[in-house]
Amino acid sequence: MLLAILISNFAGNFLLERFNGVPSEERLHWKTFLVKLGADNLKGARNEELFVSSQKSVYIVYTVLGGVCIYIVGKDEYDELALTEVMFVITSSIKDACGKSPSERLFLDKYGKICLCLDEIVWKGILENTEKDRIKRLIGLKPPNPTEI
Amino acid sequence: MAQPFLKKDDDHDDEVDYSPFLGIEKGAVLQEARVFNDPQLDPRRCSQVITKLLYLLNQGETFTKVEATEVFFAVTKLFQSRDLGLRRMVYVIIKELSPSADEVIIVTSSLMKDMTSKTDMYRANAIRVLCQITDGTLLTQIERYLKQAIVDKNPVVASAALVSGIHLLQTNPEIVKRWSNEVQEAVQSRAALVQFHALALLHQIRQNDRLAVNKLVSSLTRGSVRSPLAQCLLIRYTSQVIRESASNTQTGDRPFYDFLEGCLRHKAEMVIFEAARAITELNGVTSRELTPAITVLQLFLSSTKPVLRFAAVRTLNKVAMTHPIAVTNCNIDMESLISDQNRSIATLAITTLLKTGNESSVDRLMKQITTFMSDIADEFKIVVIEAIRSLCLKFPLKHRSLMNFLSNILREEGGFEYKKAIVDSIVILIRDIPEAKESGLLHLCEFIEDCEFTYLSTQILHFLGIEGPKTSDPSKYIRYIYNRVHLENATVRAGAVSTLAKFGAMVDSLKPRIFILLRRCLFDTDDEVRDRATLYLNTLGADGAVEDMKEFLFGSLDIPLVNLERSLKNYEPSEESFDINSVPKEVKIQPLAEKKAPGKKPTGLGGPPPGPPSTIDAYEKLLSSIPEFANFGKLFKSSAPVELTEAETEYAVNVVKHIFDGHVVFQYNCTNTIPEQLLENVTVIVDASEAEEFAEVASKPLRSLPYDSPGQTFVAFEKPEGVPAVGKFSNMLRFIVKEVDPSTGEAEDDGVEDEYQLEELEVVAADYMLKVGVSNFRNAWESMGPDCERVDEYDLGPRENLAEAVNAVINLLGMQPCEGTEVVPSNSRSHTCLLSGVYIGNVKVLVRLQFGIDGPKDVAMKLAVRSEDEAVSDAIHEIVASG
Repeated sequence: MLLAILISNFAGNFLLERFNGVPSEERLHWKTFLVKLGADNLKGARNEELFVSSQKSVYIVYTVLGGVCIYIVGKDEYDELALTEVMFVITSSIKDACGKSPSERLFLDKYGKICLCLDEIVWKGILENTEKDRIKRLIGLKPPNPTEI
Repeated sequence: MAQPFLKKDDDHDDEVDYSPFLGIEKGAVLQEARVFNDPQLDPRRCSQVITKLLYLLNQGETFTKVEATEVFFAVTKLFQSRDLGLRRMVYVIIKELSPSADEVIIVTSSLMKDMTSKTDMYRANAIRVLCQITDGTLLTQIERYLKQAIVDKNPVVASAALVSGIHLLQTNPEIVKRWSNEVQEAVQSRAALVQFHALALLHQIRQNDRLAVNKLVSSLTRGSVRSPLAQCLLIRYTSQVIRESASNTQTGDRPFYDFLEGCLRHKAEMVIFEAARAITELNGVTSRELTPAITVLQLFLSSTKPVLRFAAVRTLNKVAMTHPIAVTNCNIDMESLISDQNRSIATLAITTLLKTGNESSVDRLMKQITTFMSDIADEFKIVVIEAIRSLCLKFPLKHRSLMNFLSNILREEGGFEYKKAIVDSIVILIRDIPEAKESGLLHLCEFIEDCEFTYLSTQILHFLGIEGPKTSDPSKYIRYIYNRVHLENATVRAGAVSTLAKFGAMVDSLKPRIFILLRRCLFDTDDEVRDRATLYLNTLGADGAVEDMKEFLFGSLDIPLVNLERSLKNYEPSEESFDINSVPKEVKIQPLAEKKAPGKKPTGLGGPPPGPPSTIDAYEKLLSSIPEFANFGKLFKSSAPVELTEAETEYAVNVVKHIFDGHVVFQYNCTNTIPEQLLENVTVIVDASEAEEFAEVASKPLRSLPYDSPGQTFVAFEKPEGVPAVGKFSNMLRFIVKEVDPSTGEAEDDGVEDEYQLEELEVVAADYMLKVGVSNFRNAWESMGPDCERVDEYDLGPRENLAEAVNAVINLLGMQPCEGTEVVPSNSRSHTCLLSGVYIGNVKVLVRLQFGIDGPKDVAMKLAVRSEDEAVSDAIHEIVASG
């Protein structure tokens, strides 16, 4: 299960949060934990450099993309390697939606499109699509390339 | 290279302060949502408003029921628009709003239309939305379309249906299980993701059918799975099959190992890693099986990708716990990871090295760790401290450098948990390595000179009081302790006074000087400190026996605190002073009869419900109120209730065994579960022919047992005084049954005599043992001395694992496990378990069990018993030998 996808700015304010199967009373705890994790480790990080951590049986993969920090939390089959796959799809789709690694402003400008991308990538904690080109077509309600069918 | 946290994006320097959602406010957005009702829809404007709604929801904002309903109804109007972008947004916002069951109806027809649309993308999205908002009834209506969608040639539609199936399986399993054939077909799809989703769903559908999962794995491991994600799932399912079939293989070959080994050569790293991890986690994995997996993990250690390095070192860290030798080859690669930028990787590397390193590498390793410690967070530091503690216990000769390391980091900045981990480690090392004692105690003394944590200061003072007087020069610790009386808060000062008293009691040469110091404490501002000083001055100065004084100062409080608290609360100030011996020693057990009758109505108004009475107190009161048992003396122990009937039978009976010095009383708790019956004159006929030392002396029948109103009947036996006699008793419930008219609740006058066979009951050796813990086992063990010690070795035969053997012996003896030693770490090959208890006749008993398991799971045990009476030590051995 992909427990959470969270995107924040560098100041630690969350711009987008999607939780799956995490009780609402635990969400704040997770957000605080992730902000601290980011503040401790993401300073000076290269763009899209991957960071990984684990907390008991839960895995966390996080990175910096332009002006935002992306955190993905998973457990069971969504271990560190599967989360890396998810992170790759998310970062490439966001770059696609924004035309480049987004600043915070650009991210917010393309907010609707990014929500659609995430909706295609993950649905209720399960990875659904992994190809950025396909996702680009799907958010415009265009079918995937005929070669894929 | 980007410079996050430092540098702004040059292209947007002028815009950084402006957010399109600046000042966004829920009320205003809800107002804007009225645009959805316009007869001439503006798709762009509508999309913007939906984006704002999504932003609010993604910020954790919640809508009230009314607000959500209003927005939802408005959104449904957007189905009229033919704009594709807007339609896509509509699907998302409906899912986010999660309309309630009574609202769904308004959107169902639109979604059903989309679901059967010729436009593939409408179908895929409508399936996802419908499955999120649907209930069982609607699902039956759309089931046909979903089954078609699963085998749709468009992979997006198929995946949407399959993922919906995974979610729906939680709420409507019966319906989803009917899709097995379609899902099976989808597993063979050429589209990688469809295969991944289909495999996940198929496994979930069949997960409770072991044979079906076995078949699924067998067929797929022979074929080719395209998607690496699906291949990872297959490896996981294969591991599950191996685990479950491990005990069934007779040839010794591990099924599917070749498949796992083959996956180590897969082109996707994800698959290689999954296979390597699966191999390392195989039950009883051999070195030969392990080698190829370790080799690929070693390669990953030097990968440029941090995730691979992390995954590899994490797995090797686990392997190091069970097969440290197998990981030794990777040590050089792991040493280079100590400087890894990712601190999680560095910490895992360090702790793995600490587990696998040899004695000669300790100093070099410690040097590397010292530089590393300063720049990691406390939680990582704690992991390192725990690893160092284990290392020190493994190589006691290295205690000097490891103790120095611990004392150095103790002086540095850190939070409570971190400092506590260090102090705990030092204390353990002092206890287990005698040579480390003096230096360790001095390090702790220096720490309390500047310790900001009251809890740690008092713990250390307590420990100093026990260990300090036994050192070669106890006087050198006094200064540190007495400084606390001047410089600390009242809690620490009180702790320091107790510690001083312990030094005074143990070291005669220091006694006069301790007296002077204690007298100064009589003027302390805090009453607890003054009281303690007065108490200790009187105790140390009294002419009473030295042993009594030492018992008072050093003896452990062998009564459960909760019992003491309850007895103190119940004590009413009177002429008679509180007697600590009146506090029950047995750990409280909830009687089954109380648990089973939760539906009792309150008996009256006013006042809070009474707290649960102490079980032992309640039993004692109950038994002493029965004249037949009044002269049996003090109740030694009451067992937990033992069920004598199956669940859901006509009559529910359990028994509590009350042990006295010369008697045993069986209390049969009976419940009549038939509303149409009233039982009268209920007794239990006990056949004690297999309990030779027991003779029945009294029986107390139960006059009447109406429906659902528990009652008790008793039978008492005499047995040789103070002897832990054992035996087997068969029981028959005998009663007169009368029919009850359910409408009036009145019973008929005439009844019929009837009997009901109950299960057998045994009095075992554990019934003569009280579970009484000790706060410090080592001290208790040492103070008991080896005079009455009996040691022997036993072969416990083949066992599933060590934990099972440990539990069996604990249950056999009925003693209290100490210091959490009843927990056996998984895969352990040896384990020490510490038990304490009080044997009948009020004899304290301590037991040290050392277990070892060899290859074919044969368990051997060394049992050392210390007690106050050698006959009791022998008796414990007899219990084990005959058990």
